[in-house]
Amino acid sequence: MEFNIFIQHFINALSLGSLYGLIAVGYTMVYGILRLINFAHGDIFMLGAYFVYFATIFYKLPWAFGVIISIIATTICGLLVDRIAYKPLREAPRISALISAIGVSFFIENFAVVVFTGIPRPVVQPPILMNPIEFSGGVRLIPLGILVPVVSFLLVGCLLWLLYKTKPGLAMRAISFDIETTRMMGVSVNKIIALAFGLGSALAAVAGIMWALRYPRVEPFMGMTPGIKAFIAAVFGGIGSVPGAMIGGLILGFVEIMSVAFFPTLSGYKDAFAFCLLILILLFRPTGILGEKLEDKI
Amino acid sequence: MNRVRNLILTIIAVILFALFLNKAPELLNGYWQRILNLIAINAILALSLNLIYGITGMFSLGHAGFMAIGAYVSALLVLTPAQKNSMWILEDIYPWLLNVNTPFIISIIIAGLAAAFFGLIVALPVLRLGGDYLGIATLGFSEIIRILITNTARLTNGSLGLKGIPAHTTLFMSWGCLGVVLICTVCMLRSNLGGVFRAVRDDEVAAKMMGINTFKIKVLAFTLGCFGGGLGGALMGNLITTIDPRMFMITQTYNILMIIVVGGLGSVTGSIIGSALVTTMLEWLRFVENPITIGSINIPGIPGMRMVIFSLLLIVVIIFRREGIMGMREFSWNIFFPKPKPKTKSKTEISDTILEVENMKLRFGGLNAIDNLNFKISHGQIMGLIGPNGAGKTSAFNVISGFYKPTEGKIKFLGKSIGGLSPDEVCREGMSRTFQNIRLFGHETVLQNVMIGSRVRQKYQWWETLMPFIFTDVIREDEEAKTRAMDLLSQLGLDEFADEKASSLPYGAQRRLEIARALATKPKFLLLDEPAAGMNPQESDELMKFIRRLRDEFDLTILLIEHDMKVVMNVCDYIHVLDQGVHIAQGTPDEIKSNPRVIEAYLGAGAAVEGSVA
Repeated sequence: MEFNIFIQHFINALSLGSLYGLIAVGYTMVYGILRLINFAHGDIFMLGAYFVYFATIFYKLPWAFGVIISIIATTICGLLVDRIAYKPLREAPRISALISAIGVSFFIENFAVVVFTGIPRPVVQPPILMNPIEFSGGVRLIPLGILVPVVSFLLVGCLLWLLYKTKPGLAMRAISFDIETTRMMGVSVNKIIALAFGLGSALAAVAGIMWALRYPRVEPFMGMTPGIKAFIAAVFGGIGSVPGAMIGGLILGFVEIMSVAFFPTLSGYKDAFAFCLLILILLFRPTGILGEKLEDKI
Repeated sequence: MNRVRNLILTIIAVILFALFLNKAPELLNGYWQRILNLIAINAILALSLNLIYGITGMFSLGHAGFMAIGAYVSALLVLTPAQKNSMWILEDIYPWLLNVNTPFIISIIIAGLAAAFFGLIVALPVLRLGGDYLGIATLGFSEIIRILITNTARLTNGSLGLKGIPAHTTLFMSWGCLGVVLICTVCMLRSNLGGVFRAVRDDEVAAKMMGINTFKIKVLAFTLGCFGGGLGGALMGNLITTIDPRMFMITQTYNILMIIVVGGLGSVTGSIIGSALVTTMLEWLRFVENPITIGSINIPGIPGMRMVIFSLLLIVVIIFRREGIMGMREFSWNIFFPKPKPKTKSKTEISDTILEVENMKLRFGGLNAIDNLNFKISHGQIMGLIGPNGAGKTSAFNVISGFYKPTEGKIKFLGKSIGGLSPDEVCREGMSRTFQNIRLFGHETVLQNVMIGSRVRQKYQWWETLMPFIFTDVIREDEEAKTRAMDLLSQLGLDEFADEKASSLPYGAQRRLEIARALATKPKFLLLDEPAAGMNPQESDELMKFIRRLRDEFDLTILLIEHDMKVVMNVCDYIHVLDQGVHIAQGTPDEIKSNPRVIEAYLGAGAAVEGSVA
């Protein structure tokens, strides 16, 4: 493979991987705190993409404005999901919340079909992001390919700062360790959980916007596959760990892009790689790369 | 009596229903016949997923994949060579596959077996995972199966799918299959094996200690469930006559999940009712997506609305009525008749050194949980294991009963080395135990809890439970187990609670029930982990008498951990003392009472000096 082609694949993998990572962070935060797979997270991501579509293309707002509106609206949706579908089930067996999550995911997807119709809509890419830049050695990159990983890493960096340097972050880590004790220490647990959902949804919105720019279209079921893959990335990195989610996302992105780049005949199986990867890691290191071991007390 | 009556009622109900099915083609239009067929197929699918999830407690999201396998296998077997030739356009079909052709009945059985085989391959690695991971991994497998089907065009015709499958699924066929599946499922779940499945769901650790190889049970339930998935898929394909990979997306699994959640997780009756309700409703809801004309007003259909309503209902059900329609209850003719009360009647078994622990060490990373423990217990002894918190007593129990592997050392039980055996194997050798924090199978009745304990001593195989009317030893052995269980309950003063839920018992009774359940495994050696925890002085007095009685009546050797010194000093023949993993003393109760090292361990160094003075 020629060098310039390889670099293009590399950047491609980096931006796909960081998108997976950005979605995975939302899964990992909620799972770390509530031990709940938020199946609706992929659909929140889809909403982010739709909101920016409607803001910019339908209502002709400037991009920057559309992005902000989309993030705010998606965050509100994420908080609503927690409030309506998960909060009443905090004391219920975990499996009930999980089924509720499946229901919510189903609901958002089909509600989107009803409101937005099931027809995919093309997204107009701003030319600034799409005009290729020539580098020496025949490498041609589009600014979007560089923007995506940069934005993703910046946001995850901010999140880590929040988690490790602020009071709410400390509370969030404490809850994931022991929710009851944290409650007794006077922490308003429900607010912190809402914060986790809000942050996860905001990041998912950003991922959704960048995804919509990358594959310039939006459709109601676009969150399904990336959602499941991002969860796999979270498990791969070690569920509950934010850096782990990012690492898992990047690995998944590289495996998907590079395997098809080097073995084009496998392209039909592209979507199966994530699942094979998942099963392998679960068998040999069930706690993921950075995860901690949880054991049952006898 | 009741059994005969119920059987007659069941036969009458079945005949009436068969007559109805016979007349159905005249009474019902095609639309309703299709719904009736779908109800039966969905019920088969729901039953099989319920066996995996509701009854055995494995959260599986892979059913769509197993349905796909079933549907494809059956379709490939019933399609004629001519049809296949005309269908494979893009790539040629494998020559060996072209001429394979079997009758429909055989094709659906092979379809079920193929799905079960794949299920088994999936189960062996994946079932080592628990909880949510299992859900995601099975979902992954389901998608992998779908992607494989899409990409192996020579075998499956890829994304084009298969068309023109003969519509073999008649009402009699679908309901007949449901009937067979239902009879086998009910028979199996009513046998003691059914209790074992539920025990694995309620408390896997305790189930292991009852001598149950829980991994094997999970693999069995999963594989059987996959058989049902394949069978359902095959019937579905032969009903709809067209299949393609997109039919078997995760949505398909969610539909079945909805059925069992609405009907009640763990209830067979619930699966049937849930199937009837959800199937009918899903079909009925199609109207919201079709344009309606009322007089001159035209209401356009709203695509997607059907699933919106459907998913909202799922959320509402799970928030407001989590247990579904039936909960874990089952339908029985008995609900129409007042209930009589059963009454029952007894018998017991005998090496000199029962247990020998030599240089046992247990390390967790750098921590020495147990450092060089040595002791022997002779037949008929009651031995105490005491020490302050964190001394390693429960860890020692966990090593002896097989939950932990000793880092070093030997454990000999009845002359045989058991170090490294799993808890279920240890139980089969004749050891049983109770737990510090009571571990009962909370959803089961008191009687069932004890009967699950006796499964380890029963001889019948799992497949015999599918047809107990042929393999009558299932019925006979279960009757024996029941009689014995009732005996144990009456000896322990629990017979009045026999039909109550274990979790509803008062605390002291729960402790005794745990012991009864342990006794049902016919142990020679019993480990009791803090039996007096949480008891008042009067209850612990009774407990002391009870422990001695246990030894005498059941010819047991007993090792117990206890913090209540009064109990320990009164009931034990010999005592070993641990402190921070180190074996610091042993002797008769009197020797232990005055041993300065023991007093030091409990009260600190200063107290030891005072103790020796006093």
